Amino acid sequence: MKQDETLAEHLQGQGISRRGFLKFCAATASMLALSPGMAGAIADALGKARRPSVIWLSFQECTGCTESLTRSHNPSVESLILSAISLDYHHTLQAASGTAAEEAREQAMHDNKGEYLLVVDGSIPTGAGGGYSTIAGISNLQMLEETAKDAAAIISVGTCAAFGGIPYANPNPTGARSVMDLIHDKPIVNVPGCPPIPIVITGVLSHYLTFGSLPELDNLNRPLSFFGDTIHDRCYRRPFYDQGKFAKTFDDEGARNGWCLYELGCKGPTTHNACATAKWNNGVSFPIESGHGCIGCSEPNFWDAGSFYQAISSSPEDLSRAATGAIIAGAAAGAGVGLYNKYKQSRAKDKHYTVTTKDMEDS
Amino acid sequence: MSESVDRAVNAMKEQIDAPIASYFSSCVHCGICADACLFYTETGDPQYTPIHKLDLMKRVWEREYTFAGRIKKWLGLSRNITENDLTKWETLVYDSCTLCGRCSLYCPVGNDIVTMVRKMREAMAASGHAPEGLQQASKRAIEIGSPMGVTLKTLEAQIKHAEKEAGMEVPLDKQGVDYLMLLSSAEIAQFNEIIPAVTRIFHEAGVSWTLSSEAFEGTNSGIQIGSSDIAAELIQRIVDGAQKLKVKYVISPECGHAYTALRWEGPNLIGKPYPFEVVHIIELLDQLRTQGKLKLEGKDETRQTFHDPCQMVRRGGVMEQPRNLMNMVATDFVEMTEHSLMGWCCGGGGGVSANERAEPLRRKVFSKKREQLEEIGVERIVTACSNCRNMLEEGLEDNNMDEIEVVGLSEWLAEYLVTSSPRAAGDDS
Repeated sequence: MKQDETLAEHLQGQGISRRGFLKFCAATASMLALSPGMAGAIADALGKARRPSVIWLSFQECTGCTESLTRSHNPSVESLILSAISLDYHHTLQAASGTAAEEAREQAMHDNKGEYLLVVDGSIPTGAGGGYSTIAGISNLQMLEETAKDAAAIISVGTCAAFGGIPYANPNPTGARSVMDLIHDKPIVNVPGCPPIPIVITGVLSHYLTFGSLPELDNLNRPLSFFGDTIHDRCYRRPFYDQGKFAKTFDDEGARNGWCLYELGCKGPTTHNACATAKWNNGVSFPIESGHGCIGCSEPNFWDAGSFYQAISSSPEDLSRAATGAIIAGAAAGAGVGLYNKYKQSRAKDKHYTVTTKDMEDS
Repeated sequence: MSESVDRAVNAMKEQIDAPIASYFSSCVHCGICADACLFYTETGDPQYTPIHKLDLMKRVWEREYTFAGRIKKWLGLSRNITENDLTKWETLVYDSCTLCGRCSLYCPVGNDIVTMVRKMREAMAASGHAPEGLQQASKRAIEIGSPMGVTLKTLEAQIKHAEKEAGMEVPLDKQGVDYLMLLSSAEIAQFNEIIPAVTRIFHEAGVSWTLSSEAFEGTNSGIQIGSSDIAAELIQRIVDGAQKLKVKYVISPECGHAYTALRWEGPNLIGKPYPFEVVHIIELLDQLRTQGKLKLEGKDETRQTFHDPCQMVRRGGVMEQPRNLMNMVATDFVEMTEHSLMGWCCGGGGGVSANERAEPLRRKVFSKKREQLEEIGVERIVTACSNCRNMLEEGLEDNNMDEIEVVGLSEWLAEYLVTSSPRAAGDDS
């Protein structure tokens, strides 16, 4: 795709139908929680869009985020986005290597000064003067600072870039930090998840291409349209939670009946993400639908937040003896008050004054 | 504490059960119930906020059944309930509440405020703080057999009249039939067209039914005044009458509180299940419609609407049936903006119409209905509750809107009935 070609022109050349394009736009609009009428606006904007330059930096990461984007279910969605942008630098995807690769980055920074989008995956090691990870002799920290300087905005893709992720977990030998820990003077969108949902990545990019701005964010810089609700809010097992029906082990009758996995350590109630609605693998399912609780991969301190299999609120057995005693005493007092109130009510019943017509004689 | 205050407090202690306690403790003081109540919306007076009408009972709950309340009582910090309190709250729970249940529907935490008012009336009735009109009605209901003083003799006269008009026999005390039809006092005394109407409809539909000389009255003053003792006695009479005739079903008449008393409260009041099923006359007519047994002909082009009786529609769930029936013949049926579940009360339910003291207030709050009717501009209001009918007629007259006709659904439908045999001569009398 030539630099000055619009997406619509490019797609025509690729043999992608107008209908296929519109379907993508409608899906994006709905995922961004925009009104259905916005699909047209997105199509319009994307159709006319000149390709903004995108520089994709990968630091301490496992390439899972890139895998998520490129190997996902619906190639048209990602290829559309990859067509719409000019991905000028991406370790894994680019053909160039060595000096040529680094030149491509510098060229892109220079040509699109102040206008390019910076996508980061992976956390940034800050220990040992950034010596734990270098690319072409430049430390990750230095590369981030250098590239962020003239970027229009930064998208932190994946939990590592957004919150530190696995490298950040105790004891964090490399001194890993998240992008927002280090860069404070640029708009940052966090798209956490290990890996993030592909359509969330493309949705943020589409929003930027369509409106020239970033979507509305929550207090952790996550796009509200995807991270506004918890997994628990939208979980199809929620009715069982409300009824108090819980699986106690992974192979008991409750598990077989599809009951709530809360007691098996499901982190759905505290995890904000769109898994339960967008799902994975072309909408086939998401972890809870496959019988495993949510592990909370898109939340800060993902690895240090306790066992995957420990329920969010502990049962009395795990509390100290004093606390257990207090609970028992409290329950006993509650039962006692309840019984006393019941007794009081029944005593009132014994004193029941039967209303007869005699009471009405005087009036 | 005077004896009557003592009785009131004791009755409240009796009535405060787990649901009531949880309602009080879950009230978030949002005040949304105020906007649901026509006594507040039409007067703007905050004392008519539904939950405020229960303040007295709340005080008893706090003092007797909560920990903090008991400490306060022990320290002498809680206010005693006085005769004055009872007098003040008497007008709040009787004059400015029709038990229509709109507030319960609005409450964001699901408090059933209307049930609480009903329970608070128990305390009022036990302490002699019920309005005179309701006291007299209850007395007549127990002693004469009907709150309006309608006797069997009156009924017999109306039956004779109906037989002449319908041109067929009106069954009375017929054993072993399927249905026992109850009537409300107002239907016997004022809107007696209902008797020939159902006689003809049931005849054409082949329904085997009867009236009873022992259990003909469906109205239950005990529910309105808030005395379970009186309500239970009135229900027991119907159960006895139905058992004697060995019927399978008892038909609740076009009367809101009769339906509530019989269908929802009855078995709990008498402490045992019924040996029969209860069906509202409108439910039955709709059943006959689906079975193809209700054959109507002709179309009515009058612009008309349906006024939802609260107890039958919102509290009773008979919501679609009257509309199905009306649509059989009406070609210009319009709904009021807020209808069905969200319908506004006529202003006279729950014993308010029997309470003379409440009349000025009741007539004032009719402005809600007036607004609703002005908005859609109809020529006829169809309803299915004799009390609503009375209130609507009176309200329309007050507001110089009496060109609007008010009719009961059953008898209105009977006008379109396909008759297999020619009616007797002189039926126009």
